[in-house]
Amino acid sequence: MTEARQEWVGFSASRVWAIAVNTLTESVRQKVYLILILFALVLIASASFFSQFGFGDAGEQVALEQLKFIKDFCLGAISVFGVLIAIVGAAQLIPNELENRSIYTILAKPVRRFEFLLGKYLGSALLLLVSVAMMSAMFGVALKFKGDNYLRVAREAAMHGEDRGSIEEAARQAERIRAAVYDPDLVKALLLAYMKLALLAAITLLVSTFSTSMVFNVAVALMIFFVGHLVGAAKERWGESGVARFLLVLAPDLSVFNVADDVILGHAIPWVYVAKVALYGAVYLVAVLAAAHFIFTEREM
Amino acid sequence: MDAIRTENLTKKYNLGWGRGRLLALDGLNLQVREGEVYGLLGPNGSGKSTTLKLILNLVWPTSGTAWIFDVPCDRVVSRLHVGFLPENPYFYRYLTGAETLGFYGRLCGMNGAALRKRIDELLEMVGLTRARDRRLSGYSKGMLQRIGLAQALVHDPRLLLLDEPTAGVDPIGSKEIRDLILRLKAMGKTVLLSSHLLGQVQDVCDRIGVLNLGKLILEGEVNQLVRDQHRLSITVQDLSENARAAVESAVATAGGRVVSVEHPQTTLETLFLDALRKDERGAGDHD
Repeated sequence: MTEARQEWVGFSASRVWAIAVNTLTESVRQKVYLILILFALVLIASASFFSQFGFGDAGEQVALEQLKFIKDFCLGAISVFGVLIAIVGAAQLIPNELENRSIYTILAKPVRRFEFLLGKYLGSALLLLVSVAMMSAMFGVALKFKGDNYLRVAREAAMHGEDRGSIEEAARQAERIRAAVYDPDLVKALLLAYMKLALLAAITLLVSTFSTSMVFNVAVALMIFFVGHLVGAAKERWGESGVARFLLVLAPDLSVFNVADDVILGHAIPWVYVAKVALYGAVYLVAVLAAAHFIFTEREM
Repeated sequence: MDAIRTENLTKKYNLGWGRGRLLALDGLNLQVREGEVYGLLGPNGSGKSTTLKLILNLVWPTSGTAWIFDVPCDRVVSRLHVGFLPENPYFYRYLTGAETLGFYGRLCGMNGAALRKRIDELLEMVGLTRARDRRLSGYSKGMLQRIGLAQALVHDPRLLLLDEPTAGVDPIGSKEIRDLILRLKAMGKTVLLSSHLLGQVQDVCDRIGVLNLGKLILEGEVNQLVRDQHRLSITVQDLSENARAAVESAVATAGGRVVSVEHPQTTLETLFLDALRKDERGAGDHD
């Protein structure tokens, strides 16, 4: 009988996509996720309210300080909740499948293990994308809401100026406030923040391919997350000697993705830097997924 | 062609930390012919689930080989024509019945109108049409088992592997699942099922094999195995005492011996199902 032998099951993007969409649906319908994202959105929205104290008509300095505070607070919130969603989301992917035995039903279909793994990863990356997009939108709204208030005050001051000099000075102030509100580098900061989270999710998934406990996965992923932020500093300190240098190249340098502080301080972030970091992230991501694939295909269910 | 064939299939699990290895399956030679219902019976831990997992390449044999329709099990292609229902499945609790089947259909390369039609067919077949838009977290055990069966059937496979399909399901649900297995057999499907509920598999299986401690200790056709070749039972209705005495003496003159005379008993299961059928409010957890 050769009928079956002639059939061939190749890599299928549509199967990967089906698994990714299923993973995303599964995640967003969980109460834990809904509570987490709602809390994050409320917190971000509230930034524009509880930054109000201290500002009367005190002018530009206070306005710029307040805007800085909102950015600092919101970018921080996006990062913290992003890390929570990335690690908790990715850490449960494989343990849950094993517990529900749903992994058996999937792998019993003509599905390659790599397709399963990739689908699961894409699902968690999509979840992060949706989450970061929602939080970013809320951040944008909060920033614009507050910023437009300051801008109106500043523009009114410019219109009612007594002499040419004070009018021009008020106009320059209004321009500086506008630049602080509509800062295109904020997009770069958010983009890099997302890349970091997506990489963190992949690392968490890699950990979960060789363990069965979700708690272990979360703990190890958190550890890698914190160590990852020290790698940059360690490279500067010990990067010269051979062995240390080799080990440090292997470790994920997560600090390169953190440009939020620079953006808040108004330092320009060139696109070249963003591209370089994106390339680093992509190469590291491929390596992590390859390692996960290697371990997962060798694992008995 | 055999639907499933195994040769010397052996599986040892490493217990880890120097505690040695557990022999879960010991040189199994199994042949499941196309179109038959084969029951793999045995106590817990006898190697039934391990056999199914080996056939599906979820775990790998320590030695020996298995084939599905003559394709070695370690190839993805071997699973093109297989549907699998694991033991106590939970699936995705946040998906509805219809979404669940849609997902598994897409994994098998189906989509669009053909997939939608197949989902309707399957829900109808397993009696879950009215529960199609309810999430699986609200399904009863019996309903989960039925959606599991539908999931296994989504791509219309030629072979079905069912791990304890009736375990933990009430008698009505269990009866329905067995009826479904018989319908599948009538459609020409091959079924390999594992069970430790012997009474329930007797009426669906053509052949059975009994596993104990990883070894196949008995195999054969159910009818042959359970038939007592030396005894015959005749059931008669409305027989008078005199006529009965005459029959007994006739048996004796013919050289036979009457071993027992008794009123046939119905099974508790028949009684139970009858009582529920007569209840006008309907029966069980049905959607």
